[in-house]
Amino acid sequence: MASVAVPNKPEALDSQELLTRVQTDRSCRQTVLIYYTSAVFWLLLGSVLAILASLKMHIPGFLADWEWLTFGRVRPAHLNSMIYGWAVMAAIGTLLWLQARMGRVRLPLPLLLPVSGLVWNVGVAYGMVAILIGYSSSTEWLEFPVPVLGFFGFCLVLIIYATLVMMMRRKVHHTYVSQWYIYGGVLWFPFLYVSALILTQAPHINGTVRAIANWWFAHNVLGLWLTPIGLASAYYFIPKVTGRPVHSYHLSLLGFWTLALFYNWAGTHHLVGGPIPAWVITVGIVGSMMMFIPVTTVAINHHMTMLGQFSHLRTSPTLRFVVFGAMSYTLVSFHGSLAALRSFSEVAHFTHHTIAHSHLGVYCFFTMMMFGAMYYIFPRILRREWSSAPLIKIHFWTTAIGSIVYVVGLGWAGWVQGLMMNNPDIPFMDVVKYTIPWLESRSVAGTLMSVGHFVFAYLVWRMLRGDGADQQGPTLLTTARSLRKQRERKARARERAREVA
Amino acid sequence: MLVVYVVIWGSAVVLGLSAVWGLVWAIRTGQFHGLREGAESIFDDDEPVGTPTDFFPGAAPSARTASGNNVRAMEAKWRR
Repeated sequence: MASVAVPNKPEALDSQELLTRVQTDRSCRQTVLIYYTSAVFWLLLGSVLAILASLKMHIPGFLADWEWLTFGRVRPAHLNSMIYGWAVMAAIGTLLWLQARMGRVRLPLPLLLPVSGLVWNVGVAYGMVAILIGYSSSTEWLEFPVPVLGFFGFCLVLIIYATLVMMMRRKVHHTYVSQWYIYGGVLWFPFLYVSALILTQAPHINGTVRAIANWWFAHNVLGLWLTPIGLASAYYFIPKVTGRPVHSYHLSLLGFWTLALFYNWAGTHHLVGGPIPAWVITVGIVGSMMMFIPVTTVAINHHMTMLGQFSHLRTSPTLRFVVFGAMSYTLVSFHGSLAALRSFSEVAHFTHHTIAHSHLGVYCFFTMMMFGAMYYIFPRILRREWSSAPLIKIHFWTTAIGSIVYVVGLGWAGWVQGLMMNNPDIPFMDVVKYTIPWLESRSVAGTLMSVGHFVFAYLVWRMLRGDGADQQGPTLLTTARSLRKQRERKARARERAREVA
Repeated sequence: MLVVYVVIWGSAVVLGLSAVWGLVWAIRTGQFHGLREGAESIFDDDEPVGTPTDFFPGAAPSARTASGNNVRAMEAKWRR
């Protein structure tokens, strides 16, 4: 595994940097492949469960005769499959590759890291079965039974270790902004998961206190784990694909440190109006408002880096997804800060508006960002091109249109639903009836997104089978420079041929 | 109950200290100096600033070589 595929053409390796890049990419192959392919599997399973749950919202009798397919089990199974199966596994694959790339070091633990991918899968599978047969812990975002912590803990320790080893061995002295985000996410998430599990499962913690711990955790999974990994990807891929450095590097570092300071406080805004001390909620609202600072820095940076570069969206699959994700990040963060306010929550809380918001975050921002990362990383670790440009475009447009329909439809319906529920003259059943067409539009949108996921899975399958064109030189997806080198090589070869003649 | 206190206060202290340590480390090792070079640290001579690195399959500026025919012919020449 430590052996490196050195191309057999000496001319192809006239640059030390090129060789290093090929070696680091190659060292990530097994580990990243295991994490990525498993992530895609859980994405498909999560999509099927999502469609089931969505259909049940407007066809209540649909598949309701099997207890393991009732809404109360399918819905948490969807959530956990997407978070712990898809999002976390995609994030781990991406962060390990990014860390090796940016430090220009090989991935350590060539045996244990692939094993950790398998162990993580066993943990998720165990938790999913437990939820479907009725042993969910019934704490939202933490439905997996406690023993799953053993599986996840083992993997997380290895990933922290690998990240720190790559930090020590790095060949580039400077810590790039994406690396700051990765160090943050990698160190925060294990702590979050363990402490939230203890604080929600300990017998003397119950009632509203458990709810506080629960939402502190659930919000921070997005804020201190998915957001750092998503932003690390954006800060790497946007400059790398367009070939233009980050617009304001000062601002990007300010963004990281302010996120580290403020995000952790924001979780309790989920409990606005709940029976907990008012100051706890106020702290959450203040934290959410302070998030305007890091979000503004990221928004300015991503937009200004892309300014004048939008033509690359036509030519790069990675950039399409990453820019869609970056725009959604700005949107979801500003919306989230506003939604934390009491006056906004008065209407939007306990409605479909919240569901729209969470999908804007985890789907439009994070999932699209991970698709973008995968479109860049798969070809480079396998040294093979994607097999079909039209299928990539179908994947992009189905998921983009599907998620926009999803978020806009449910966001609007949720707001009206909130206004109607606040009006005592409107009977509750009228409110329910009003939402039904919008719930149907959610099912349609969800199906469209799932079609995109299956197309993507098919592309990954063909990538693994080796249907795409093999890359001849070590740089995949040839650049202007390697093109020039290729011409020089060709000229040399022609000259040699002439000499022989 | 002891576990809960250890988790809450222990993690507050450990995470707080690690953040302070991280900031001190960053300042002492000069991570906040030379920010222009820092922003360019993800580029190198082989993939320099100004070079796009990602294309749809077959749409790269060198689609001909990606399909492999020319390069394979070239390789055959080298082997001879």
